[in-house]
Amino acid sequence: MFLAIRELKHSKLRYLLIGLIMVLVALLVFIISGLANGLSSDNASSIQNMKADYFVMEHDSKNKLNRSIISMEKLDEIRASSDVKAAEGLGQMMITLNKVGSSEKTDVTIFATNASGILAPKVIEGTNYDNKKQGEVVADSSLKEVGYKLGDSLKDDLSGKVFTIVGFTEKQSYSHSPVVYMNVKGWQEINPALKNQGNDSISTIAVQMDSKAEENVRESLPEDLTLISKDESLQSIPGFKEEQGTLTMMIAFLFVIAAFVLAVFFYVITLQKTNQFGVLKALGANTSFLAKSIVGQVMLLAVACIAISVALTYGVTLIMPEGMPFELSTNLVIKYSLLLLVVSVLGSLLSLYRVAKIDAIEAIGRVS
Amino acid sequence: MMGDKLLFENVSKIYGEGDNKVTALDNISLNVRAGEFVAIVGPSGSGKSTFLSIAGALLSPSKGRLLLNDEDITSLSPKKLTRVRLEKIGFVFQSSNLVPYLTVRDQLLLISELIGKRDKKTMKKADELLSHLGLGHRADHLPEALSGGERQRVAIARSLMNDPEIILADEPTASLDSKRGRDVVEMLAHEVKSRNKAAIMVTHDERMLDLCDRVVNITDGKVFG
Repeated sequence: MFLAIRELKHSKLRYLLIGLIMVLVALLVFIISGLANGLSSDNASSIQNMKADYFVMEHDSKNKLNRSIISMEKLDEIRASSDVKAAEGLGQMMITLNKVGSSEKTDVTIFATNASGILAPKVIEGTNYDNKKQGEVVADSSLKEVGYKLGDSLKDDLSGKVFTIVGFTEKQSYSHSPVVYMNVKGWQEINPALKNQGNDSISTIAVQMDSKAEENVRESLPEDLTLISKDESLQSIPGFKEEQGTLTMMIAFLFVIAAFVLAVFFYVITLQKTNQFGVLKALGANTSFLAKSIVGQVMLLAVACIAISVALTYGVTLIMPEGMPFELSTNLVIKYSLLLLVVSVLGSLLSLYRVAKIDAIEAIGRVS
Repeated sequence: MMGDKLLFENVSKIYGEGDNKVTALDNISLNVRAGEFVAIVGPSGSGKSTFLSIAGALLSPSKGRLLLNDEDITSLSPKKLTRVRLEKIGFVFQSSNLVPYLTVRDQLLLISELIGKRDKKTMKKADELLSHLGLGHRADHLPEALSGGERQRVAIARSLMNDPEIILADEPTASLDSKRGRDVVEMLAHEVKSRNKAAIMVTHDERMLDLCDRVVNITDGKVFG
């Protein structure tokens, strides 16, 4: 560190410039991962927050909730299994609702489930819907932001049914649309695929169970049903995989860019100092002393830049517009900070290799 | 013989193999005693640099033995040679051999840092050496603020920092005018005498030779004189 710190102090501009690049790259990493997280929860918080570990789907549905139809009888069969802690049926569909007495239209996702079951929404305002009474719904609080309030009536144009908002819940969205909860009967009546059949059906069965029991339960299912994990069901939400994939790829590239920018910078500087390193080696500096000096510089620089980026990131979140889907957990910040640090040190390996190759004898007989 | 700080015994250095074989040093024997200041002269390509590299434990000889302070260093590993250079040899190189971002005092303290004990004592030693060489007022300056002569004086101070057995100077006057060059060599000679060190200076500057105890001529890898 003797050399590292003194050189950083001496060549301020040079290290300031590379530091600036590092700060920007790290800032971008944090902001994009915040956005990725925010979008993921904006997209699928209803599934992420659901108290379920697995979902039973119709085999031909390709894991898509809106295509899956399962007979209600199957729910009792699954509940009877000793591996299953709890299970509940869920009906899902996406519709456009009209606000009665206004031209306002809103796209929502309907979740239909037992109002007292494990999937029932946590009501934060008003009351829960009734399992028997028709026409009551509990809506995600994001509907409040677009002007809905308790007691408002919503009409489904397709079926002509009218629903009243009796309560609000929070953090419930699916495929970027707010979720509206109702009882299963109501859902069966507005679902065009079901209403003429009169069958008692649902879309999926959410299951709480140990991951160890996965194989057992899967094998016990009839052929036309399949079992998927919560994570797999997230991946099958329309657009979820693509959205997250794009952002994840950007983050991965930023890590690669950070490594290369630092690698090139320190490599060029090391090449420039070949003669100097030769003299130092002749004086008796071994390669590990010089290596520590370079890695020390990279670490100091990286730690300072990452710290500045983290501070800037939290500063940026303060001035972000209200509805911006942005979520950054401390855990993730720490994880990515450490990863950036590791990547930075990896970037300096090229310089270390170069330094190891420098021969002390270059110090002798050289006019420069 | 006791009292020899550096002893070359039938040392040869051969580069390459077969048809490309080049004999840089051919069976050289030479000794340098404590308090002796030896000049090595010779045309370019004569093997002066190779000689200095071997004397400075930067290069191992192909044949023969090399004794530093009665210790055989001929077949030490590169790692051990680095340690020998650090603890027993002082170097004064040509012009740009100071680390550009270290102050004059830090140039000296770097040696203590490398040895692994940088403390108040070495700090005091560095300041003493600097004021002794007339650089006390320059201790906090960077090399870029110094004149060529001052830089070489810093290099001399640095070479004394590890209290070496022998000081090796590689054309220390190469970038200096004759007046300043002479000052630097006089200072080096004075330090060698007063501290009873051995010193070898490779030079092509014949005007400096009267300051040396002995002049050794190397031509085509052979020693004369």
